[in-house]
Amino acid sequence: MTLSKIETFKENELTLNKTEDDDQFLTFKLSNEMFAIGILNIKEILEYGNLTTVPMMPAFVRGVINLRGAVVPVIDLIARFSSNRSEVTKRTCIVIIEVTTDDDCHVIGVMVDAVSAVLEIPANEIEPPPALGAKIRTDFIHGMGKVDGDFVIILNVDNVLSVDELGMLNQNTESPALER
Amino acid sequence: MELDLSVVLPTFLDESREGLDELETILLHLEHNNVDHDKLNSIFRIAHTIKGSAGMFGLDEIVNFTHVVENFLDKLREGNTNITAELVELLLACGDHIRLLVQIAETQDPLDDLLVKNGSALISKLSILNGPDEDSNVKKDMVPLPDTDTERIDSEHAKNDNWHISLQLSIDTLRNGMEPLSMLHYLETLGEVISITTLGDAIPQNAEMDPESFYLRFEIIFKTTSDKQTIDDAFEFFKEGSHIAILPPNSKVSDYIALIDSSDDDERIGEILVHAGAITQTELNDALSTQYSLHMTSIEKPLGDILVEQRMSYQPVIDAAIVKQTQIRSDKSRDAASVRVDSAKLDLLINLVGELVIASAGTALNAQTTENTMLIESVSTLTTLVEEVRDSALCLRMIPIGATFTRFKRVVHDMSKELGKDIELIITGADTELDKTVVEKISDPLMHLVRNSIDHGIENIDTRQANGKSATGLIKLNAYHDSGCIIIEVNDDGAGLDKQRILTKAIDKGLVQEGQQLEDSDIYNLIFEPGFSTANEVTNISGRGVGMDVVKRNITELRGAIELDSKPGLGTNFRVRLPLTLAIIDGFLIGVSADTFVIPLDLVIECIELKEMNNSLDTSKDYINLRGEVLPLINLRTLLAIEGGLGKRQNIVVVKYGSNKAGIVVDELMGEFQTVIKPLGDIFHNVRAVSGFTVLGNGDVSLILDIPGLIQGAISNQPHILPITA
Amino acid sequence: MLKYEDNKNLISISIINEMNIYSAAELKTLLDKLIDDKRDMEINLDGVSEIDSAGIQLLMLIKQERNNNNLRLSLVQHSNAVLDAFEFLGLVSYFNDPVLLTNRKGDLHGA
Repeated sequence: MTLSKIETFKENELTLNKTEDDDQFLTFKLSNEMFAIGILNIKEILEYGNLTTVPMMPAFVRGVINLRGAVVPVIDLIARFSSNRSEVTKRTCIVIIEVTTDDDCHVIGVMVDAVSAVLEIPANEIEPPPALGAKIRTDFIHGMGKVDGDFVIILNVDNVLSVDELGMLNQNTESPALER
Repeated sequence: MELDLSVVLPTFLDESREGLDELETILLHLEHNNVDHDKLNSIFRIAHTIKGSAGMFGLDEIVNFTHVVENFLDKLREGNTNITAELVELLLACGDHIRLLVQIAETQDPLDDLLVKNGSALISKLSILNGPDEDSNVKKDMVPLPDTDTERIDSEHAKNDNWHISLQLSIDTLRNGMEPLSMLHYLETLGEVISITTLGDAIPQNAEMDPESFYLRFEIIFKTTSDKQTIDDAFEFFKEGSHIAILPPNSKVSDYIALIDSSDDDERIGEILVHAGAITQTELNDALSTQYSLHMTSIEKPLGDILVEQRMSYQPVIDAAIVKQTQIRSDKSRDAASVRVDSAKLDLLINLVGELVIASAGTALNAQTTENTMLIESVSTLTTLVEEVRDSALCLRMIPIGATFTRFKRVVHDMSKELGKDIELIITGADTELDKTVVEKISDPLMHLVRNSIDHGIENIDTRQANGKSATGLIKLNAYHDSGCIIIEVNDDGAGLDKQRILTKAIDKGLVQEGQQLEDSDIYNLIFEPGFSTANEVTNISGRGVGMDVVKRNITELRGAIELDSKPGLGTNFRVRLPLTLAIIDGFLIGVSADTFVIPLDLVIECIELKEMNNSLDTSKDYINLRGEVLPLINLRTLLAIEGGLGKRQNIVVVKYGSNKAGIVVDELMGEFQTVIKPLGDIFHNVRAVSGFTVLGNGDVSLILDIPGLIQGAISNQPHILPITA
Repeated sequence: MLKYEDNKNLISISIINEMNIYSAAELKTLLDKLIDDKRDMEINLDGVSEIDSAGIQLLMLIKQERNNNNLRLSLVQHSNAVLDAFEFLGLVSYFNDPVLLTNRKGDLHGA
């Protein structure tokens, strides 16, 4: 198995108290744009590789990986936001995220071009998502974080990775050969 | 002190439910058979056990209601009331009510008004049936004691019959959250605790004494008219690891002799008595010889009496000693019979075994690359062992389908009453085993099939008689194993499906084109299409908006299939085919370009190299002629849009599911492989060609092909090649 | 939970509040230091609000340990909770301490 852990945030979680944790975000690049995810959702980051594709899934479901015996789906965020697909480079990573819905907890991997840093963005530095003009669906945006005068898009992980939505979408894209 | 019983509450809930299931079974049996005193005793005991245990948990609603039921059952077994269908009905309703109360004890919901009202309605019905002597007419032959427990027993020897109870509880009692004092206080509700002697002999030296272990022993002299089982039930939650002896009064000489003569390695009764300081060795010897000589002259006299007469001891102490000796033995045999295990622990084990299987496959793979013969050999031994471990682990989860079947007796009983039909349920193959998870999930679909047969299958009595059939309709449930699958059949001897009506309706709904030629079986299987329900009128029973399509979907989700067969006027047969387990299977690994897939080995019949076939490499064809048989082909490369060129040679894996066959066109045949099935999860649940994931030895994820789905797709896409001869 | 006074010939211990499974381990740790004290021992149970079998067992341990070492122990001022338990379990004679019946009538200690 060639997957290797670059970093885990579990240990940080133990040492930081909750209010501090709330302010911590992992920033990463997708087609040269900066995005962020709250680190409380993140379980670990893996090198990209050993993906198994699942047929007849929409493009943004890149495949599945073996995460210590558990099969975890990997979502291509660029494909989720647009009609392009991510290019795989040396720096491509899979960020393993835990998404909690009402009663379930799902582990999902997302593909990102490159992981940048863990930053602290205090709540007062986060603005609500713009009503218009965003490049991605507004319900995917948790807020716009100000970092060094620039904005990073803080993702609403629950909506971006809504299991209901991800599972629904492939019905329409099913191969006609299998329809009865 | 607030007693933390929450640890054992699940046990209570489980056991109560088991009891109620048994109650139901017995009641249904009683309805059709002659009154059997043993059976009456059993149901009485069930009610009593539930009441007793509920009392320990302070579940007053259950205690109060069950108490009334228990009294009623008590009268019943005394033969005061005839067992009528009406009465069975009422008792079944009472059982249901207790079940609801148990449910509430679990969820800790508040009692709703309706439930309370139902409860009192049942109680008043019971007292009406019970005749005048329950509340109003105590003077008749009953002694008006406040606690009815004490008036129950058929005790011929009434005098001075104190019980002796010897409690040597598990050292973990306190750690398990149990408080013996509470249990002793509970005894007081069953009768009169004459005295308790607390012995601290087992308390170790200060240095070794763990204050959270339990060392005390209790010798209890207890007066009650309850039976032994009832007393025993009070200790229900203390039994594990404990030695509990309940010594009935007036035991016979022969019993004592049997006990004293019994095995040598257990501490002998005399030694126990002497050890306890109850009597001296000499006194015991004297008593024994007296008692033996009496026995020789056929005078049955309790040993206890002899000893008491000789003023050597008093009965309870002797009794305790005797029982202590026996109970060591009886505990041993009971423990050996079965062990109750938390199913979560079992699931954990199965998961670990799954990981072990994967890891072992990986090891085997690595060993191969070393070309070290010794290593390869020992890994192969290991693999064989792992396979055995896997099989035994899976066996742990296998349970007989019988319990599920038995539940349907009640459904048949209730529904046939409601519909004015007369139906008999015949169960065969009840001991056929399958995975617990499958059993749980198949119960609802089966229930639906049974309901359907009762409602739509079996005709009214009049109709049946008019057609020259017996008035009693038959529903048969059958289960058996068939090549890695379990087959469950639900069969009725009713009217059969109305082909014309199904067809009309299907055309109505646009499922079928008018004039389309369909085989009978195709028409019948239309009832599994969504939104299809043939009942002319929606009845209370099956017209719930849940149709056969849901049944089919549920079964498909279990990687199973359902088919049906019907003959007009003779009946309908549903055949459900299910995998034995959901966890681990033997898989057959195949490759298409760079991708690997797993096919369940059970479904593979043979593998053929494609170029051997006379119609050779033309994989664009939808079918081939396999030894004169038409075999539809499934080309994975095109079907799953797999990129990459054709492999050097093409192979066909012939698979069979139910009565249908198909050939799967693949590049590479990679051999057998132990497959741990990982469910698809919510994101992938709509993918049709794939039924699950598995992790290969090298750590890669592979897809398990949904063969039943693929075959189904291949067939319905190619109606022109029907029929396939299986 | 536990306090004690040292006198010249007598060590006088008072156990207060609960003597149950929750306090047993802590109580025993405290008592371990005193249990082998060569002086006469008196344990005042006046303040014991609640006692369960773990508590009873602990008292029996002390009694046994003192007996084995030929040391003296007397339990005094039994609270109602202790008395109820002793009577129910037939332990009054085991400890063989004078039980003050007035204690019960006075009902100073709540049930």
